[in-house]
Amino acid sequence: MNNIKQEYAYWIALAHLPKMKTARKNELIVKCFEEKLSIVDFFHCEISDWYKLFSLNEKEIILFNDAKKELPNYSFLVEDLLEQGYDIIPITSPDYSPIMKNNMKRAYSPPLIYTKGNKQIMKEDSIAIVGSRKAEDISLEFTDNVAKTASKEYKVIVSGFAKGVDKQALDSAIKYRGQSIIVLPQGITTFKSGFKKYYKQIIEGDVLVLSTFHPKAPWSVQLAMGRNPIIYGLAKEIYVAESSEKGGTWSGVVDGLRKGRSIFVRIPLSSEKNANNLLIQKGAIPVNNQGNKIENYSISEIKESVVSEPASAFDDIDSKIIKLLSVGEFTSKEIIEKLKIDWTSRKLINYLKQNQSIVVLDKKSPMKFTIKTKKNSQQSLF
Amino acid sequence: MTRHEAEIKLKRIFGFDKFYDEQWETIDMLLRGKRMLLIEKTGYGKSLCFQFPATQFDGITVIFSPLIALMRDQVNSLNEKGIAAKHINSEQTYENNSQVIQDAINGKIKILYIAPERQENQEWIEATRKMNLSMIVIDEAHTISVWGHDFRPSFRRIINLVQLLPKDLPILATTATATKRVQADIEQQISGNLTTIRGNLLRENFNLFVIETKSEDEKLLWLAENINKLPGTGLLYTGTRVNTEIYARWFDFVGINSTDYNAGLDGDTRKEIEKGLMSNKWKCVVSTNALGMGIDKPDIRFIIHAQIPASPIHYYQEIGRAGRDGQKTYIILFYNSKKDDDGIPEDYKLPKAFVDGGRPSIKKYQIVINAVKQEQLGERQLMKITNMKQTQIRVIKADLIEQEIIKEVKFDRSKKYEYQFNAPELDTAKFNELRNAKLKDLDSMLEYVFTTEPRMKFLCEYLGDKPPNKFDNCDNSKYKKRTVRPDKSTIEKLTEFRETYFPTLEVESQSSNITNGVASSYYGVSNVGATLHRCKYENGGDFPDFLLKLMLKAFRKTFGDKHFDMIVYVPPTTSGELLKNFAEKISYVLKVPISHKLVKQRETQPQKVFQNGYLKRENVSGAFNYTEPNEINNKNILLVDDIFDSGTTIKEIGKLLTNFGANLIVPLVIARTVGGDI
Repeated sequence: MNNIKQEYAYWIALAHLPKMKTARKNELIVKCFEEKLSIVDFFHCEISDWYKLFSLNEKEIILFNDAKKELPNYSFLVEDLLEQGYDIIPITSPDYSPIMKNNMKRAYSPPLIYTKGNKQIMKEDSIAIVGSRKAEDISLEFTDNVAKTASKEYKVIVSGFAKGVDKQALDSAIKYRGQSIIVLPQGITTFKSGFKKYYKQIIEGDVLVLSTFHPKAPWSVQLAMGRNPIIYGLAKEIYVAESSEKGGTWSGVVDGLRKGRSIFVRIPLSSEKNANNLLIQKGAIPVNNQGNKIENYSISEIKESVVSEPASAFDDIDSKIIKLLSVGEFTSKEIIEKLKIDWTSRKLINYLKQNQSIVVLDKKSPMKFTIKTKKNSQQSLF
Repeated sequence: MTRHEAEIKLKRIFGFDKFYDEQWETIDMLLRGKRMLLIEKTGYGKSLCFQFPATQFDGITVIFSPLIALMRDQVNSLNEKGIAAKHINSEQTYENNSQVIQDAINGKIKILYIAPERQENQEWIEATRKMNLSMIVIDEAHTISVWGHDFRPSFRRIINLVQLLPKDLPILATTATATKRVQADIEQQISGNLTTIRGNLLRENFNLFVIETKSEDEKLLWLAENINKLPGTGLLYTGTRVNTEIYARWFDFVGINSTDYNAGLDGDTRKEIEKGLMSNKWKCVVSTNALGMGIDKPDIRFIIHAQIPASPIHYYQEIGRAGRDGQKTYIILFYNSKKDDDGIPEDYKLPKAFVDGGRPSIKKYQIVINAVKQEQLGERQLMKITNMKQTQIRVIKADLIEQEIIKEVKFDRSKKYEYQFNAPELDTAKFNELRNAKLKDLDSMLEYVFTTEPRMKFLCEYLGDKPPNKFDNCDNSKYKKRTVRPDKSTIEKLTEFRETYFPTLEVESQSSNITNGVASSYYGVSNVGATLHRCKYENGGDFPDFLLKLMLKAFRKTFGDKHFDMIVYVPPTTSGELLKNFAEKISYVLKVPISHKLVKQRETQPQKVFQNGYLKRENVSGAFNYTEPNEINNKNILLVDDIFDSGTTIKEIGKLLTNFGANLIVPLVIARTVGGDI
């Protein structure tokens, strides 16, 4: 009877076998399954069987023979990892993320993942929120909104722990008491400050830390790029807060679109200088700041506001607001109250900021708005 | 390799002509990559079963062993034969250990002995990723069994490791002490196609005796009159460290050539004593059962236990060190069956206390669990927050880790305990199970004491050995029972001894002018402790005169020739003027002026509230002052206190007075407790 623990050293050997593509590794794993062999059996096969059953070539045979010599060493690594509370999850394990298997299929699913925390999180519906490290406030607001909705709907939020959007996604998920997965750009044992910071959430089962790299691998640009497909793999839907025209976020979306993934990109304000619209042109689904799909969004509407109200209602509200603001200075909340508009504060603020006839006073909190006059347009600090 | 070929190599490398059958069976299996459990008595030659194959493998053989003395001896002997062997343990310097690790990585070592605690060492774990490993050996494998008498939590990790090793890597587990139950436990834990070979454990050259006494004194008296009649050199095991001192000093007093040994001694002293033992320097080494494990001495002619061990298998293991040369060997066990006021036999109390106190209360476990739920904590932080002793924290932590409620995670330079998501509730049923099993074992030990059957028969049945054909080697068969009938002169000597034996207070340090002091007694010995308790906490009045007399005796014997300029006493926390009055009497008799100017400048709690050294130090740090520091300059000061426990208070005052220019500070204390913490 094969105890799964006895297989771990072998799984690590396979997962980190150099010079072999994931697709090939998974091919061998499937073949084992078909032949009713465990990974242990595979490693201890006669060379003739390696040829016959698995069609290994010369180079591959050498790779596996070398890996076999390292098995005792990997055993020590496994003992150390288990002792520290890390989980080792091979692709054949019932704990492995079904979403990832479905998204990445045989070609790209990592044969082995390392986690710490509540593994069951991987079985829930999930979304990913991605975006630039140097995201604008509006992107962060978007991230917060999406995270809030997702948490309410019991969807897990997957993010990469980078600065900017990633961190916001995680912190918002925690704020709204949702569950989240942190996909690390480094080996799982190197995440010390993170384990300290999110200790409570981890032990309470709300945060799962995950890594597909060698447990001791330090952060590197390569690994940071390498974990983006994993983020996509773990999520059912992707929300993009902000992307530039090159870099990790951009290539992730482009790649995802090519693979037919559902990717929602935030409609940018006309004043923004990012590549969100380009992505929408490429086939990403446009969403507003709340994360809601916008039908019939065309790029020519860039110049108009992001409000999706029927034209008449729009005009109506527009003139009401102008009328109100011409008699005084009001916060967005006050405007909503007085005019009984069914908008969120955020939506209104965006609209007001867009409107050329309206000016923002002082930018203090809460912001106040009024009609632009000669006097105050000199005072405004844009 | 055939047996013939192997024996040729055996002769060449080790100098032996042949293997025993069971040795070859084991070696053959190992050479084929199998897993073996070998249970044979000490001295059988188990080591050869892994040393020989190790020389035949390409890579390195790692041996996990808890016995540092044994490691040393075996490494030396292997190196002499030209085999590259080294060890890593806490007695070596950090640099030494590091170098050995490097050598192992670079393939320069064939055989590496290592203490199981190393699994917690970062450098070692890193190194294991790079070494070429050929075989793993677990020595003293009974330590992995919870039902075994000597379970070590650190071995739990070795078992985890073994369960993770590739199936074609040879593994050997060996032990000389395993009942059938423990054997089954080891087999289950190592699993994976394991073959067991088991030989007879008991030696047939043992002569077994039990001497029942009605007091502790009777043991001392019998030994004084009879130990020199026993042949050769031997060991006397006492139940506590305090007793090793007392028995050894008694032997000095009556002119018996002996020395004392315990695990608290530093590495160099211990090595000296081990060397002396090997060369029969003394008639007897008085020790706790820390001595003897792994010492390769073939001619220990007697082993005497002054206190019953916790079970027959503990007993077997401890006596198993004697008579390896097959010659006549005396095995003697004392048992004080005098019942106390509650009807409990005196010598039953100590092992029972170990069983009961073996685990802290469940409440304490919950305190630790709740603390770790709040944040990741290291051992020291945990001790501070929970106010528990280090030993208690370690027992609790080991249990919680074993039940997977917490895990120990490595940070760069430290380790912290983390609560685990979805951790199970604390399983206390297991603790009770274990406790009951241990009590049963203790009862078995008493059965041995009182059995009228041949003692060899009893032990064989208990261990699972095949019994011999006849039984004629104990005081229930061939020999007469020994009784205690001491001479009057010996009894007088003992009285004299009891009145002149005074424990030392170890407080010296380089940064202070305080010297080691003296106590008039151990707290728990005779009625000194009871008297102190009555006076301090039960309104028993001033300390009585007999304590004064004892104190003065202790003083005169140790410091009688020194001149003192003044006496000061430790200002009390809760016991009022008792100590002041006592110190005044001492001052009067010794004609040394007394000063009342050592005072407390802030509130402190009684030290005994604090369970560990950190908190005790914090409690008294900066708490004292001397109101006229000029008076102290260049003076010799006698510092008086009633009870000495960890010594933190005395050391703190010593520092204070040194800073004020005192020339010499000598602590003088009524009673010294045994125990204390870090």
